[in-house]
Amino acid sequence: MQWLDALIQGVLLGGMYAQYALGMALMFGVMRIVNIAHGDLMILLALTGISLAAAFSLGTLSLIVVLVPLAAALGWALQRGILNKVVGEDPLPSLIATFGLSIALQNLMLQIWSADTRSLRGGGLESASIDLGGVYIGVLPVIVLVTAIVLTASLDFVIRGTRFGRGLRAAAADTEAAAMTGVNPKTIYAASTAIAVAILGIAAVFQSLRATVSPADGPAQLIYAFEAVIIGGMGSLWGAFVGSMVLGVAQAIGFRIDPGWGILFGHVIFLAALAIRPEGVMMKRR
Amino acid sequence: MTTLPIVNVQRHTLSSRIAMSLSVVALMALIAMPWWADSGWIRWAVELSCYIAIAQMWNLLAGYAGLVSVGQQAFIGAAGYALFVLCQKFGVNPFLAVPLAMIVPAILSVPTYLLLHRLDGPYFAIGTWVVAEAVRLVTTNLDFVNAGAGLTLRVMTQYRLHEREVAMTILCAILLLVTVGGSYWLLRSRHGLALTAMRDNPVSAGSQGVNVSRLRFLVFIAAAVGTGFAGAIYYMAQLRITPASGYDPKWASISIFIVMVGGIGSIEGAIIGALLYFFADRFFSQYGAIYMVVLGCLTLFMAIYARGGIWGFVSSRFDAPWFPVGRRLVLPNDKGT
Repeated sequence: MQWLDALIQGVLLGGMYAQYALGMALMFGVMRIVNIAHGDLMILLALTGISLAAAFSLGTLSLIVVLVPLAAALGWALQRGILNKVVGEDPLPSLIATFGLSIALQNLMLQIWSADTRSLRGGGLESASIDLGGVYIGVLPVIVLVTAIVLTASLDFVIRGTRFGRGLRAAAADTEAAAMTGVNPKTIYAASTAIAVAILGIAAVFQSLRATVSPADGPAQLIYAFEAVIIGGMGSLWGAFVGSMVLGVAQAIGFRIDPGWGILFGHVIFLAALAIRPEGVMMKRR
Repeated sequence: MTTLPIVNVQRHTLSSRIAMSLSVVALMALIAMPWWADSGWIRWAVELSCYIAIAQMWNLLAGYAGLVSVGQQAFIGAAGYALFVLCQKFGVNPFLAVPLAMIVPAILSVPTYLLLHRLDGPYFAIGTWVVAEAVRLVTTNLDFVNAGAGLTLRVMTQYRLHEREVAMTILCAILLLVTVGGSYWLLRSRHGLALTAMRDNPVSAGSQGVNVSRLRFLVFIAAAVGTGFAGAIYYMAQLRITPASGYDPKWASISIFIVMVGGIGSIEGAIIGALLYFFADRFFSQYGAIYMVVLGCLTLFMAIYARGGIWGFVSSRFDAPWFPVGRRLVLPNDKGT
């Protein structure tokens, strides 16, 4: 029973990670870059959300409605102002640029919000749970998981089935050939970063509801997103989702064995996945 | 049929002879520090030497081998802990334990590389960070090394301050010789040609017969050992190590900042950057978070607008390398340039 509980909690935790991983998989798939400030942007949005909610006494839903467009605008600006200048064959410039951004953001947040941990009040939602024959399942984590599934499915649909998605896949496959056929890669890039950061806006609200956030939390979230993407298979959206579940379950089981081992278990599963199936669980073997 | 003129290969320049002499003088001055400088200065010299060494190793990785790592702190912490364990638990002489401690980063780097080299450029970088985090968490959970509380180097109390300082400055001189001198030697050797070719274009280097993957592997191990060496000396000077300090990602930010601002892909760049960071840290670290915001923004700025860093800017205007790694052909009756 204890292990079934760990499994369920792990899958629910994976729902949270899936929301971080989705944007990272999208950006890597399209531009072959990793935004090291990914986690810090989520924390920035979370802290902004907490301050906004306090200042205008916003409810959870109205906060999401306010924060997501803000996040999308932030993503668009990030692409236009920084990432467009460093995207290219050489991975070094984009890594260094986003690394610098990550350091600057972390310390800027430290200056503005101090090192205190903060969280969002959800009016009882964060503590509500359902009893399923001895296993208690939180309502909020279920909402998080369902949101992650809906987000992954919609993004997958957009990429497979829409005109924008075709342009995106074309730009990902061959930027220059795509540009020749009338796709503007810069617009595609800006739109995909806007989508990735907008998803982080949703993740930020859920993260500050279910746990606490502080300015130094970003790198850990970046690492979880990264592990999920690699376990699942680089660039595949459902792969990132499955990878998040694997990571969440590994951490939950680790925490049951010894509270100090939870995060470490996640890292170990990641390294094992890299050793055994470097192409990811969702990819066909080459 | 034309015959090729007989040429001499010139490898040193006037500027490099001056720089070489200055380096020898600086190393001598460093070793003599216990007799002419006070303890505060020696502490600073140790710190600066460690920055130069760690940055030089990162430069070798990112600038030449194309392996961007944000997890070199794994080797700093591992070597630091190896030193403390050898001294405190096995009673090894601390100064003898420094070279012995190098075995740990060397062993750690092999599986790390074998696992991570499958990852694409940016993913490799974050992969190294995961390894550093995993090693930190393992250390935090090991009661043998006092878990999260860390270790103190008590054995050092058996030496007088002056003895410790003599040993520290000699170790720092060896560290600089091995990391900076070693990189210089490596880049001037035939492997240096291969490394420079790899820096400019790994694919065409491969087609010219450079074994890119093997060279990358060897550079990764060498950089791990060099970085670990600096880590062991740094924490020996600190007399204390904890998982949070030894495996601090701040080491990654320091190396990236130093190399990017100083100038990537050159020995001079890492030295200039290390000096700049060292003095910036002395003067501005009192401003705390705002200082770090400026460092972050400066790194960002360098990545976008000035990829060659300060040395790239200087060397594009003045042809006066301190550590020339190229070859220049000079006709025998020509006095050279």
